[in-house]
Amino acid sequence: MRVSYCEGSVIGSLAQEVGIPQAVAEADRSRAFEAAVREHQAMIYSVAYHFLQDHAVAEELAQEVFLELYRHWDEIESREHRIHWLRKVASRRCIDQSRRRKLRNHVSLEEAPEPFTWMPAADPILKRYIEQLLGKLAETPRLVVIMRYQEGLEPAEIADVLDMPVATVKSHLQRSLALLRRKLSFATREGEA
Amino acid sequence: MMDFEDQLRRALERKDPSADFTARVMARASQPKKPLAWVSWRSWAAAGLAASLCLGALGLEVEHRRKVEQEGKAASAQLIRAMHITSIKLQRIHKRVQGSL
Repeated sequence: MRVSYCEGSVIGSLAQEVGIPQAVAEADRSRAFEAAVREHQAMIYSVAYHFLQDHAVAEELAQEVFLELYRHWDEIESREHRIHWLRKVASRRCIDQSRRRKLRNHVSLEEAPEPFTWMPAADPILKRYIEQLLGKLAETPRLVVIMRYQEGLEPAEIADVLDMPVATVKSHLQRSLALLRRKLSFATREGEA
Repeated sequence: MMDFEDQLRRALERKDPSADFTARVMARASQPKKPLAWVSWRSWAAAGLAASLCLGALGLEVEHRRKVEQEGKAASAQLIRAMHITSIKLQRIHKRVQGSL
């Protein structure tokens, strides 16, 4: 008997063995899936929102990611595997969505205009400004920064999720942080002046 | 002033989706999978086109074979007629040769 970590799969297998109707197993699978959606919805929605900067599109994308999880439910072996799988699929879909709908602002971060008003630290406007700057990064560095600072992943973990060498992740992080820091310090100096 | 990386973490804090997000996912997950209308339409159109092409090719082949057969029959009839005429002429020559002897 194949024992899966997923609650739904275990119950489903047991139900089949003792002859409980398939409908009961299906209901249990559905309940386990619902719990997983509740647990991970903020993570997936936030990755999509920070990447795409559009609430409606981010929600739609997050829904698609969970529906894909539902289709592959029996292949998931553990909670950790599920989280890794969700991050991977969400990242891939974010890039696909960005390329398909050309949501990315064509102004690069280097060319982005500087703000003219003072923004004290921890101000909601500053928070929004950082989000906007992030939105101007290229797709891969943007995802790397999101995985690092939203999800708190180490470079090796990010490399695993995004299927790229650790050195590339570190290089993206370094370059993106330097750019963001420069833009932000410029804005702060301008404000103080 | 907050550390720059802390500012990034704060800006990238997780956010919750709409309150009915889970319900909407569950509703979509419980829907039976139906083929999309355009996929179905395209499949039928492709099948129809393929069937038309097959029928057209079959029709052309049948017509070609019928034509070849007709030409063969006509050639055969022509040959038989030519041989018949040749035979009559040979008989006449044969009679004349015998009469002169």
